[in-house]
Amino acid sequence: MTESPLAVEAAGTGIPVPAAPGARRFWRRLRAQRAALVAAAVVALLVLVALAAPLLTALEGQDPTTYHPSLIDSARGGVPVGPLGGVGAEHWLGVEPQTGRDLFARLVYGARVSLGVALAATVIQVVIGVVVGVAAALGSQWVDQLLSRLTDIIVAMPLMIMSLALLAVVPANFPRPVLVTLVIGLIAWGSIAKIVRAQTLSMKGLDYVSAARLSGWGTWRIARRELLPGLAAPVITYAALLVPMNISVEAALSFLGVGVKPPTPSWGQMLTSADVWYQAAPQYLLLPAGALFVTVLALTVLGDGVRTALDPRAASRLRVGTGREDRNAREDAGTKEATA
Amino acid sequence: MRQPSVIARRVAAASVSLVVAAGAAACGPKDSGAKGSGGDSTPHKGGTLTVLNSEPQTDFDPARLYTSGGGNVPSLVFRTLTTRNRAAGAAGAKVVPDLATDTGRPNKDATVWTYTLKKGLKYEDGTPITSADIKYGIERSFAPELSGGAPYLRDWLVGAAGYQGPYKDKKGLAAIETPDERTIVFHLDKPEGEFPFLATQTQFAPVPKAKDTGTKYEEHPVSSGPYEVVKNENDGEHVLLRRNPNWSAATDDQRKAYPDTIDVRSGLDSSVINQRLSASQGADAAAVTTDTNLGPAELAKVTGDKELAARVGTGHFGYTNYIAFNPTVKPFDNPKVREAIAYAVDRSSVVNAAGGSALAEPATTFLPNQKSFGYTPYDPFPAGASGNAAKAEKLLAQAGYKNGLTVTLTHSNAKDFATSPEIATALQDALKKAGITVRLQGLEDNDYRDTVHSVKTEPGFFLAGWGADWPSGGPFLAPIFDGRQIVKDGANFNASRLDDKSVNDEIDSINKLTDLDAAAKRWGALDKKIGGKALVVPLFHPVYKRLVGKDVRNIVISDWTGVLDISQVAVK
Amino acid sequence: MSGFGGFLLRRAVGTVITLLAISVIVYVVFYVTPGDVAQITCGPRCSPEQVRQVAAQLHLGDPLYVRYWHFLQGLFAGQDFSTGTSVEHCAAPCLGQSYQTGQQVLDIILGKLPVSLSLVLGAMVLWLALGVGTGVLSAWRRGRVSERVLTAITLAGTATPVFVIGLVLMIVVCGELQLLPFPQYVAFTDDPEQWAWNLLLPWLSLALIEAATFARLTRAAMLETLAEDHVRTFRAYGVGERAIVGRHALRGAFAPVIALNANNVGSAVGGAVLTETLFGLPGIGQELVHAVKVVDLPVVVGMVLVIAFFVVLANAVADVLYAVADRRVVLA
Repeated sequence: MTESPLAVEAAGTGIPVPAAPGARRFWRRLRAQRAALVAAAVVALLVLVALAAPLLTALEGQDPTTYHPSLIDSARGGVPVGPLGGVGAEHWLGVEPQTGRDLFARLVYGARVSLGVALAATVIQVVIGVVVGVAAALGSQWVDQLLSRLTDIIVAMPLMIMSLALLAVVPANFPRPVLVTLVIGLIAWGSIAKIVRAQTLSMKGLDYVSAARLSGWGTWRIARRELLPGLAAPVITYAALLVPMNISVEAALSFLGVGVKPPTPSWGQMLTSADVWYQAAPQYLLLPAGALFVTVLALTVLGDGVRTALDPRAASRLRVGTGREDRNAREDAGTKEATA
Repeated sequence: MRQPSVIARRVAAASVSLVVAAGAAACGPKDSGAKGSGGDSTPHKGGTLTVLNSEPQTDFDPARLYTSGGGNVPSLVFRTLTTRNRAAGAAGAKVVPDLATDTGRPNKDATVWTYTLKKGLKYEDGTPITSADIKYGIERSFAPELSGGAPYLRDWLVGAAGYQGPYKDKKGLAAIETPDERTIVFHLDKPEGEFPFLATQTQFAPVPKAKDTGTKYEEHPVSSGPYEVVKNENDGEHVLLRRNPNWSAATDDQRKAYPDTIDVRSGLDSSVINQRLSASQGADAAAVTTDTNLGPAELAKVTGDKELAARVGTGHFGYTNYIAFNPTVKPFDNPKVREAIAYAVDRSSVVNAAGGSALAEPATTFLPNQKSFGYTPYDPFPAGASGNAAKAEKLLAQAGYKNGLTVTLTHSNAKDFATSPEIATALQDALKKAGITVRLQGLEDNDYRDTVHSVKTEPGFFLAGWGADWPSGGPFLAPIFDGRQIVKDGANFNASRLDDKSVNDEIDSINKLTDLDAAAKRWGALDKKIGGKALVVPLFHPVYKRLVGKDVRNIVISDWTGVLDISQVAVK
Repeated sequence: MSGFGGFLLRRAVGTVITLLAISVIVYVVFYVTPGDVAQITCGPRCSPEQVRQVAAQLHLGDPLYVRYWHFLQGLFAGQDFSTGTSVEHCAAPCLGQSYQTGQQVLDIILGKLPVSLSLVLGAMVLWLALGVGTGVLSAWRRGRVSERVLTAITLAGTATPVFVIGLVLMIVVCGELQLLPFPQYVAFTDDPEQWAWNLLLPWLSLALIEAATFARLTRAAMLETLAEDHVRTFRAYGVGERAIVGRHALRGAFAPVIALNANNVGSAVGGAVLTETLFGLPGIGQELVHAVKVVDLPVVVGMVLVIAFFVVLANAVADVLYAVADRRVVLA
């Protein structure tokens, strides 16, 4: 539910945004940043672990759903027997309280759901955000008004509450992870649309775009060839922030009882049921919390790295678009009615 | 996962009681010298008792409350014709007189019940309580504006089915007569030997007609009990009660009312409640909860700590969690399939999912394991502690499912440890061993209720729970197994659609008994008879474990409510 | 462009349209949400006949558009409703009455609003202080170990769901160390000191979630300013580093922080739902979750509208502040 839009707002400062660098230059710049490389490696590892979950658990000889009642103490609420929550050769990270299910297996399978939901939801948010943002900026005033109001509505509606209602409306046999993804993706695109609209408006007034328009290029072609590359930097930066936010939303939905359903494990669900075990079985809470932290850290550093590689000069120029300053940009550039 | 479902709670929060050795005296090493003999000395009068609850007291109108035995907090403000005996354990499952001089005088076939009010009964403003006020209180519970109570009055009183309450129908209910200011007579459609139990519910509290403000009455209901409402803020989130000067202990031998003030704070997260009670800082030292169990995680911590363990009260409320079958859905029409599932069930892993052996007891009977219900032990499909997969497979093969079977188990997504995903996944894992593949269908709580309680949409195999409106076999068995209680166009609880003449007749015949002990025995026998049909698979009876603050004394937990009775509690 | 009055007028009209659109959406979504309202209100054991009486009482049989029309009527013209014993008037803007309790929705909201406002506004102060402070420090100490540690801490805040942070903080600070009381809402008007003391942990939990974004933003904006020509000139003239950071670079971060803050009010409301649920603060978020569960449509619509109103308001305020901070911006 956390939406914190960061965008490159070039217009307000009057600094031109350069066209995107070539792919080769991009990689060269990315490789030059050690932190970003480490972060990329971590992200790749996480994705790999998620993809290879069945393999890894087979290696351990466990699966995420089998109960092991002998490994928990029923009289004491089902706390795992043995040191460190039952860590050993059989169960690498110990077992879950109350069920005795293998925690390593649940953690790696949980990565599939959490990363999958968060990444897919981010893609949806970015696609809708870019389409709505660009269309609002390039369309007629009516289109802009309509889309901007729509964005306002999306931003002003309490996401959490609408999710509670929406998740109850859809039939229970609809695959739950897909549903959670769709709900997060379809409700929380408002900020990114605002950022994209602002950025597009600012670029629209720039020389090279005006030049393209003068030479008779159509709106679509301008959007594709001239604007989208310029949007890459702010969009990627923001997307890197959206992923961990989406993981948190997935967790919050579980907390409110409408997330991914058991026995499918997810990090959010693990956190939700583990928080009360903080004193009696701390590793149960620390494992998903740690995994989430590493993911967020890696994605943030990687996002910064990608941004720097795309646009080294503007790398530190993180700005916010509220949809206000951009309109001035439009007026400053004297193009207010030009596209109508 | 932390709280019982709203409905379970509504019923449970209702009432109270058994004296657990509140051994707060066995204090930790720190302050050993400071205290004398804690527990049994005369309880101290005065002070403020804090109640920390999860569920706000959203309803505080006696017409709207659905309670077992008059509720815990409500019972401090509303006196009723009869009430539950405020004693520990099984003795607390008895009915005793409250406003009335006795528990009711039936006519020969228990269709007419007469009560006489005690002398000198007064409201908080000093005006006398009359039998007409009790009649009016019952009548207004029929108003659609004030719906929410139990169904029995409507079902039992003569000509009450279509009555819409005194606001729309000024004539009133002819089934209730008040020949004089102290006498009230009830005319019932059919014999009901358990009418005295019903008269404990808050609908039997007096409401002075002149003070009735309809839906706004709950903001300040007129007290007949030991406390009056000083504040009712934020829709029952904060209720402050103060001693009612016009209540007299001489007319009320049940409520002790030691503290001067009772401060009810609700809307709290259950883990926060338990943390606060465990820390017992400041006002929390004199705090209790009436609706929040210790969770499994907290139990793991408490059992390792002597001082804390001594502050845990254990109680049993009559409740059964079970698997319900709908035999009109294949393959559950085949008794062998139902029996196979009954054999395959792993009660120990279900108990673990419900919080472990301290919070749940495995159940093989539908009736709760208490004498007042007529508990008769039986186990028609012995599955042992962790299931008999071999026997289950054999039965499945006989039923024509040699290569296993795939079924869908419907459950609620509510975090209640009862009909929740945790229980469902534990069953899924156990049934796998017997070759039964279970697909889970988790529904949002409202959806789940609508679905399983409608004869049109009821699934074949789902998790359910049933609690007692009062500690007797009648309200436990009849709604679930009486064929005449199948509701076709509303909320139906007879999930198995059992409509067996011999069962129906036995229910009628027991309802005629006014000797409740004799009735209990026959309810037990009836339970055993129905149990053989494998229409339900009992899973477990919950156990209530509740922490109290370190200065709380005189804890009485009855088998009626399973939780401590606020009217008995004293603070140091 | 026609000055402040015109700006306000356009904003007001836009806000009303946005809010009405939201109310329509909420009505439609909850209309199709499962849950038999009459049965829930009436209780689980109500007879079909009684459920029908309750449904009639609440006008649940009316088609959707009729119910929405009644809602609009109440909103703009007020409504009469019956308590059973008398008829009361609910003046415009009347948000209707709760299906569950019969209370006026506006009264319910007004009772809970101070709690939610206290929570969000207090947390806002804290996340601005924490976020901007961390951002300044990390811009200043760029590349050093202390900056890395600060960044990691704020990111840990973002990465951990508020209910986990809140519960662990509560167990440690209130339960084990006993430094603070367990939070319990005390009205500001009753006792300001207790109010702040009790809300400290909820504020902190909510602020930790948001602080990281502000830290990153502040740091970036400051680094940019520090790299600008005039700052280099200051340095050349021997102006102290402390003065440069304090006087110039921080000013550069002001506008974007305000703008981000407005956007974050919306997300903070979501966090407030969880925070209120966890800490048991009787605010709008907690009530809203409950109202959604029992499908109490009038309460849900009323509360969603109030929340949306504040989000829109926060954005408008940010625009004004933004214009004040940056003269180049004209209110359009």
